[in-house]
Amino acid sequence: MSTPVLETENLVKVYGKGATRFDALKGLTFEIHEGESVAIVGKSGSGKSTLMHLLALLDEPTSGVVALGGEPVTALKPKKVSQLRNESFGFVFQQFFLNPNQTVLENITLPLKIAGMGKSERNRRGMEVLEQLDMADKAKNKATNLSGGQKQRACIARALVNRPAVLFADEPTGNLDTVTSEIVEDILFGLHRDHGITLVVVTHDEDLAAKCQRRLMMQDGEIVAEEHGATGVHA
Amino acid sequence: MRSVDVARTALGNTFRSKLRTALTVVAIVIGSFTLTLTSGLGAGVNKYVDTVVAGFGGSSQMFVMSTGASDAAPTDGPAEYDPEAAASSGGMFGPGSGGGVLTDSDIESIEEIDNVSAVDPMVFVSPDYLETPDGAQYAMELDVPANALGLELEAGEAPGEDGMELSIPAEWLTIFDTEDAEQVLGETVQIGISNVTGEQTAVEAEIVGVSEEALSGIGATPMPSRELNQELNDLSMEGYEGQAQNAYTMAVVDVDDLEANEQGIKDALTEQDLLGLTVEDQIGAVQGVIDAVSWVLSGFGLIALLAASFGIVNTLLMSVQERTREIGLMKAMGMSSGKVFGLFSMEAVVIGILGSIIGVVLGLGAGILGNAWLTGDGGPLGAVAGLTLFAVDPLAIAGIIALIVFIAFLAGTLPAARAAKKDPIEALRYE
Repeated sequence: MSTPVLETENLVKVYGKGATRFDALKGLTFEIHEGESVAIVGKSGSGKSTLMHLLALLDEPTSGVVALGGEPVTALKPKKVSQLRNESFGFVFQQFFLNPNQTVLENITLPLKIAGMGKSERNRRGMEVLEQLDMADKAKNKATNLSGGQKQRACIARALVNRPAVLFADEPTGNLDTVTSEIVEDILFGLHRDHGITLVVVTHDEDLAAKCQRRLMMQDGEIVAEEHGATGVHA
Repeated sequence: MRSVDVARTALGNTFRSKLRTALTVVAIVIGSFTLTLTSGLGAGVNKYVDTVVAGFGGSSQMFVMSTGASDAAPTDGPAEYDPEAAASSGGMFGPGSGGGVLTDSDIESIEEIDNVSAVDPMVFVSPDYLETPDGAQYAMELDVPANALGLELEAGEAPGEDGMELSIPAEWLTIFDTEDAEQVLGETVQIGISNVTGEQTAVEAEIVGVSEEALSGIGATPMPSRELNQELNDLSMEGYEGQAQNAYTMAVVDVDDLEANEQGIKDALTEQDLLGLTVEDQIGAVQGVIDAVSWVLSGFGLIALLAASFGIVNTLLMSVQERTREIGLMKAMGMSSGKVFGLFSMEAVVIGILGSIIGVVLGLGAGILGNAWLTGDGGPLGAVAGLTLFAVDPLAIAGIIALIVFIAFLAGTLPAARAAKKDPIEALRYE
């Protein structure tokens, strides 16, 4: 098998000290391969968000290693880590985090702006992604004027615009109604299926998790079970 | 993130909360307005003083007086009479009874000092009257010819070395029943003077110039040519047989390369109980006062800026708080802490640039208009010839803008550092 995109070894995260010590992650070791769709499932407090933050290099583990493309990143300088995040990851958040004052196009090209890309190239790439998600006609709209589903689609566009190796989705349907959730799920898994994007979904939604190829069930900072096979993917 | 994008984003963010930004900018504007006005005022008045100094022309001249009289002050009891000393402090010719006078021997010793190229003793004469061609007589005081270089002329030219010439102040035009200064040029007047025995004689003199009164006072009285002055002096001394025949209140000394030799000559003069003052020495004190006043006023401007800088801190701290999630998002998407810091300090700089430019423009406008109104025709200070109260000094303006932008940047560092320190996870969780 090829080198995993992401792998962890004995990942430990501890918050606090002494009496307030809380072991959020208790030594996790697993791999995520290119083109996989992985769900990290668990109740709140199970450590699934902490795990995603560590995988996405947003946080540093207390001990253990996270490796991206076979290279351990824990020892890298913050600036280099920032750059890796910018180049390698896309994020879809539950609360969208769109800047209401900016247009959709400005919002979704933010990662490219951070990367230091010129404006015309940014906009070209941005439009490309918006077209892919049928959002091109909303490019000039202010982000506040979008519906919930459109907002989440804008978020996905923003996550895709830098052509990431891994797309992290943190409760991507948490704020959406059932119908819109399904549309967003279709988009996410369509991207996974048609474009081979590696998808890491953090959720407590069993239905969403069921659509992933692999599910890591978490409880009290440990992976208690691992399931394979997408049970709910539309055939 | 490219620098141009940082700048553009900062600019955009500054206008996101328009009212708040506007209020913060107003505070900066007040500071920069004050600074522009005070520095312009200082520059303007100093420029005027400079033109007055330049008017004296005497950048190579030194004015020499006797210090003899003041040396005599701290003695016990009445000093014994000394005919020599009495002659050198001869009261009747000095401008004040206490001031010492220069004698011929003083003049000779000044001439012997190195680098002194010429010594021109000055005599004050006190004529009795000036008589116009139609016979009317007016009381008059004469200025000394050495001041001729400082004349601000409305018409004609300054009285020169030779010829029986004089200039009259513009106010005196009324005695010729005219308002046109050109008309009186060439008119002949009689100047009457009494000698020591009380006998009056008159000499004829031609009007060659009409002067305006400068801030220095020069030009407020008629000024004779050297020849006329000497002639009047000779007339006034007729019949005098005392020892103080040749006593001068002051001597104008021409110096080769004044800058290099100033101190040496002053030292040499001090040895002979003489005091040498350059034009700069005399005017420098005035400029010192003007500078001090404009610095004090600028101090108020700086205090206003200090207060304004807290406004920036406050505004940006609020902004950082409000945009916590946005900061978190940018950091999650790979924006480095350094760039986040740069973005927020740039916003402070934008506020500083806005405030300083608006303030400078307003300050320049107020200064230029105020100057035009105050010193223009019919203004409260319009009578003072050549007076400028406000001058634009591009270097000072650039300095003010740079200073304010720097202060704004400093004020922005605290909020910017706070923004840069935000943990993306915490920031994204922030509600």
